[in-house]
Amino acid sequence: MGHATVPNPRRSAMATIRDVATEPLQALLEHAFPEATELAVVDRTGGGDHFHVTVASPRFEGLSLVDQHRLVYDALAAPLADGSIHELRIKTKGTQST
Amino acid sequence: MTLKDQINEIIETEPVALFMKGTPSFVACGNSQRALAALRSTGAPFTAVDILPDPRFRQELSSLSGWPTIPQVFVKGELVGGADIVEELAANGELDRKLTEALGDGYRDQRSERVIALNVA
Repeated sequence: MGHATVPNPRRSAMATIRDVATEPLQALLEHAFPEATELAVVDRTGGGDHFHVTVASPRFEGLSLVDQHRLVYDALAAPLADGSIHELRIKTKGTQST
Repeated sequence: MTLKDQINEIIETEPVALFMKGTPSFVACGNSQRALAALRSTGAPFTAVDILPDPRFRQELSSLSGWPTIPQVFVKGELVGGADIVEELAANGELDRKLTEALGDGYRDQRSERVIALNVA
């Protein structure tokens, strides 16, 4: 058995900060959109409360953008309500159209 | 008139309504600015409503529309979307199509902007 790799403390600290902010949203979206072909959460400012979410799913096909975004809002209702999301940008895509 | 009735009346009677943070001459949020710029790019007349003066304005609006964030753009009573959607629809021409359908062909050069203030009942 080889030695366990000692993580670079600086790098892992940065990764932790990023994950702490986006991971809960990522998990909620993965739960709500298990069929998603693309799913990304970006902490837009690094401050942990301005997010850009991208979801591509066949479920969006035939829905208006309002209804597509509503599904994303529904998935993120808890963090929207408790204020942990201060600003949310959403990009939804069907899997056929752009 | 109750707050809910005031908001409902704006949504139902104003051809294009923009609920935003601030006013067109003093925008208080980047997303409201994006929605405002997208609407202005169409040349359509619209009515802006500032939701910042009282937290109940936003609560009532979101409970009526079922949309949690600000800004919100309505055309003929229908929620068209927030900043991301309105920007996307302006870019792909869909907003022009919606506005033509709602306002007729001549809307592009009207460029009138009006502000309505909500009152705490």
